Amino acid sequence: MVQQVRLSLREPIALDVDFQVQGFTALLGASGEGKSTLIKALAGLVPSAGEPFGGLPPQRRPIGYLPQGYALFPHLRAWENVAYAFGGALKSHRQRAVDLLDSVGLAAQADLRPSQLSGGQQQRVALARALARSPQLLLLDEPTSALDVNTRDDVMAELVSRMHQLGIPALAATHDAGLAAMSDWVVVLAGRRIVQQGPPREMFARPASVAAAALLGVRNRFTATVLRHVPEQGYTELHWEEAATVLRVPLRADAAPGWAVGSTLDWAVSPDDVRLPPLKTDRADDAENPIAGTIEHIIVQEASATAALRCGKARLWLRAPLRLIAHHGLRVGSAVTVHARAAQLQCWPR
Amino acid sequence: MALSAVDTSVVGSAAAYDRGQRLTRRAWLIALAGLLGLGFLSLPFFGLLISTPWTQLQLQPGDVDSLQVSLLYTVEALLIVVAFGTPVAWWLARHDFRGKFLVELLILLPLLTPPLAMGLLLSMSYGPYSWLGQPLGKLGLSLTNTPESFLLAQIYGSAPYFIVAARSAFEGVPRELEQISLTLGQSPWRTFWRITVPLAGLGLGAGVALAWVRALGEFGIVLIVAYYPQGIPVKLWVNLQDTGLPAVYPLLWLFFVIGLPLPLILGALSRRRQDRR
Repeated sequence: MVQQVRLSLREPIALDVDFQVQGFTALLGASGEGKSTLIKALAGLVPSAGEPFGGLPPQRRPIGYLPQGYALFPHLRAWENVAYAFGGALKSHRQRAVDLLDSVGLAAQADLRPSQLSGGQQQRVALARALARSPQLLLLDEPTSALDVNTRDDVMAELVSRMHQLGIPALAATHDAGLAAMSDWVVVLAGRRIVQQGPPREMFARPASVAAAALLGVRNRFTATVLRHVPEQGYTELHWEEAATVLRVPLRADAAPGWAVGSTLDWAVSPDDVRLPPLKTDRADDAENPIAGTIEHIIVQEASATAALRCGKARLWLRAPLRLIAHHGLRVGSAVTVHARAAQLQCWPR
Repeated sequence: MALSAVDTSVVGSAAAYDRGQRLTRRAWLIALAGLLGLGFLSLPFFGLLISTPWTQLQLQPGDVDSLQVSLLYTVEALLIVVAFGTPVAWWLARHDFRGKFLVELLILLPLLTPPLAMGLLLSMSYGPYSWLGQPLGKLGLSLTNTPESFLLAQIYGSAPYFIVAARSAFEGVPRELEQISLTLGQSPWRTFWRITVPLAGLGLGAGVALAWVRALGEFGIVLIVAYYPQGIPVKLWVNLQDTGLPAVYPLLWLFFVIGLPLPLILGALSRRRQDRR
């Protein structure tokens, strides 16, 4: 299930990439980064050099391609869309086509036209059609974009597990961090190059750059300047100008690239790591890095809540159980001092 | 306070009532204008119906021959136009290149030139003593007053219309569907026939219907380069000149009978397909 991709494009954008496809792989990138172009290049629809399939015309590449919106043939019924991929007369492949539709749970819709199917059903017809040729690699372009929010996670979870059953590696171009979280492998495309790849757990824990953090959905991204290094205490102090707050992070040597006193760096903290004052104040490390602010919004999601904290010019998001918020009596306008452990602040020197 | 609120609401609804009246009046005016326009456009056809001497319809000598000439050569011209125009239309719809506007202009030129002028241009190039007509004549191909010249006139008169219509029909087919077909392992040829042509069907049908009507009714170009063999338009003109208006009715009706079915059938088919989607 591992497929190495080494590709070089010149038109319509210049792009040189080298990454792995492992199981269901998310190619995460902002719009305009060339994700779709890359997918099309792998499908042979955009000229490129490299592997796999270097130089083959699209009709000879063993791939299945699901474009954005799935592109079912509007003049053909669901089963005809699938039968078309077998070549020859449609009628002679009716049984095989219906069997394939059955495998994606759509046998009952075989005689419907694409316009009569929901987004999720269209995606499954497109999948059945792509699978008709027994592809070695499945390519998906923004597979979640045509799905409605309520069914999106279900449809995608089903798609990922189906790809696992079939044992076909899949590469999905997306800007959806939620889909990346569901994948086996994540490849981040930023600034027209691959900046990071790995399993999602590692990626979400340690984004390689602030751009990768943005793509992975990290909301609390800020800048700060290096204030001083305190080797005897084992920390480095940063000045977070927007919030007029001094933060401590684990000691970094002055000589480390980008860590000289006075240099600007990007930093981020997960909303889960921004802590409200603990119920019992006996743990010193929970009191690290006090940040004072005022509650601006509270968004309740089931048993927890996400709150926006206004700290000077910055907005800091934090997530906490609802009962803790209730315990502190927090509402819009409440003043509160939160904490963030030094080790949980992620910094990216420039 | 409560009373005044009630008052304003009454005034408000009266204003709304007035506005409603005005809108209804405007709707009537628009409908009337539309009916007048429709009446104006259909007036000549009504005139044909009431002035046809139904009991004394008599074909003129040569009318049946002209019918045969028109039918036979229009079908031939249409086949040639579709066979050669379709690739040109597809090429224009799917490829961008420098100077494309020049090619587009060249295709539009015959369409923008008045038919009579186009006929004169053709005789300058294909006429018996012209730069191209002379060598062609030596090869045994005469393009003045021959069936070939009749075909030539019809092709010049109808091809641009077909190409323009077919091109926009092809442009209306999402390129992505053709690309998907390729990624499904299907050849470009099969993709063209099974995906592009069916999806462009409506527009291609309109192009064929337009070309049919233009070729069948071509008069200006035909008059100059192919007075013979006489098709229906020239024969109608001859009948009118030689005998007068009463001599045109039978052939005129036959003209409608053979000219209209193809566009009507194509129109009906396209409407049915649109309903089904």
